[in-house]
Amino acid sequence: MQVPSTGLLRAFSPLYKTTPCLPWTARGCVYQQRASFSSTEQRQKRNKGGQKKDPRITQIRYHLQHPLTPRPLRFSRTRYLRHWTIHRAWQLYQSKLRTQRERDLEKQYNTMHAACEALRLIDNHGMTTQDRARLGEPPQDEGGKEMGRLYRIAMLKHGVWDGVPIEYARIQTDSPGREGWNHAWTQ
Amino acid sequence: MASKRPITQCLRCTRHDRIHILPFRNLTTTTTSEPPPPPPPSSEDAPKQQSSTLNPFLVHTPRSERKLLTTQSQYPIGSRRRRAALATSSNIPFTQLPYQCFQEARKILLEDRREKIAEIEKMRDRIEKVQKEGLRKGEGESEREHRVRSMRGRIEDLKVLADINDPLVKKRFEDGLGDMNKPIYRSLANQSWRNYKRKVLLQRITQMNVIPDILPFIGPTVSTSLSFGRKKVPHGEIVESTLSERAPSMELQCFDKGERLVTIAVVNPDVPDVEKDGFGYRCHFLASNVRLSPTETGVDFASLHDESQVIIPWMAPYVQKGLQYQRHAIFILEQPSSPTEPPTPLDLTEIKKQARYTNRDGFKLRSFADRYRLRPVGVDLFRAVWDEGTAGVMERLGVSGGDVEFKRKRVEPLPYKRLKGERFT
Repeated sequence: MQVPSTGLLRAFSPLYKTTPCLPWTARGCVYQQRASFSSTEQRQKRNKGGQKKDPRITQIRYHLQHPLTPRPLRFSRTRYLRHWTIHRAWQLYQSKLRTQRERDLEKQYNTMHAACEALRLIDNHGMTTQDRARLGEPPQDEGGKEMGRLYRIAMLKHGVWDGVPIEYARIQTDSPGREGWNHAWTQ
Repeated sequence: MASKRPITQCLRCTRHDRIHILPFRNLTTTTTSEPPPPPPPSSEDAPKQQSSTLNPFLVHTPRSERKLLTTQSQYPIGSRRRRAALATSSNIPFTQLPYQCFQEARKILLEDRREKIAEIEKMRDRIEKVQKEGLRKGEGESEREHRVRSMRGRIEDLKVLADINDPLVKKRFEDGLGDMNKPIYRSLANQSWRNYKRKVLLQRITQMNVIPDILPFIGPTVSTSLSFGRKKVPHGEIVESTLSERAPSMELQCFDKGERLVTIAVVNPDVPDVEKDGFGYRCHFLASNVRLSPTETGVDFASLHDESQVIIPWMAPYVQKGLQYQRHAIFILEQPSSPTEPPTPLDLTEIKKQARYTNRDGFKLRSFADRYRLRPVGVDLFRAVWDEGTAGVMERLGVSGGDVEFKRKRVEPLPYKRLKGERFT
């Protein structure tokens, strides 16, 4: 039996493909593989037929074309260098500012820490155990009420939420609580 | 007036000849060692020059170009666009360009540079002090050495950081004019190598299993590029047999200062062994005591010294017909040295007496590296396949087997898979 000819089918049906057809998104890979096994860019002037462009890139460029899309930055050599200089100076300035702020915070924290430590060691008369020993005063009870009273007062958390709604005091957690909302709560 | 309105000054087109700060122009080629091209004359004496001679750097109208060609029989130099720009712009050096933001930025960067240099001085003083005074309480000799070493490292970092924000340094590096004796250019070159080329190299040598096959591990610190004659070969490329008949040359760029001696070995791990039904090694080239420094980068395999450097001379790679491609890995191994003394060369007469290091077949690079305490610092790779020229190459080498074709052994099908007729024969 004679095999029927596929000529008509081949001519008119887009579904009939003798060669296996890749999805259009993968065609760029084929184009790229045609280049020689090289990591360097192809020189455009050498390449007579023009550089093989990836169709995906063409599509992206096409769809990015819009009056609201800002034009790409294209600078001359010296202008780019000036731009780069300004950029580096700005980055440097910012990083210096950041380190300065961090140092200030650290200094403040250390000062507060030292002040609290001093408060913890003094008694009601403002004297530490060493001061008492030096002046010949009778020593205070080390664990007693008199020692470090000001420190304990300073550590009280009264009034830290003054002026701030108490709802903001909820501890930030990764996941919500077991019961999502406490409906019984009133202020 | 102009000083009161700096913005206006900045916005004004600098191509007009109102601003004359310095008579020279270093925009195009900044400070280079070679003499700059003849400086374009400033615009006052341009018409005077026009009458006598035409400057090939400045002519930019077709008429003057023709005139240059007919009267002085010279061609204009550079593009017309560039010549026009040179002829009509004022000659302000890059660092003095009158843009307010740019100048403010430069001030900040120069201030930072001064700070960095002061810090370098401080660190130097501190190192001297540490070396002069005795050991601290509870500190050993090794701890003090560690302290000094870390301070030296900090100085090296600062040297780079002091210059990394300089636009002219960046420009010079991009033009390929960087002086590799200076830490900043070495650091920039290292960065650009690690950004792309080193990644490609590592991918090639791991995908083609060079690393566990020849040496167990390598972290390349020297950038390599191989070329046969004039043809540059990317890492892992298949090279024609006629091209690789002559010994190649390499560019070995190291990025840390100082001189060192290296050993270069070209090893093929895919030599077929028919008796064993497996593969063996073959050494195509082995040379020691090759001097390397950031500025001495070129190594020509053919012109190394026979007595003091070459152990095994170059043999052209060949692959017999029917075989897969064969990898030829080039390893750069650093010879042991101490930081204070100049590097001591290996004793080649002793090496040449040992048969296992002078025989090409069965050469084990692991054994060689272990025996002489060599540290792998660089690697490159090319491949060879059978092609039209291979038979001729083998004939010229005096190797027999150019007419042999390797074929796969026929695997006898199991009885039940045989065709009907042959099953019971």
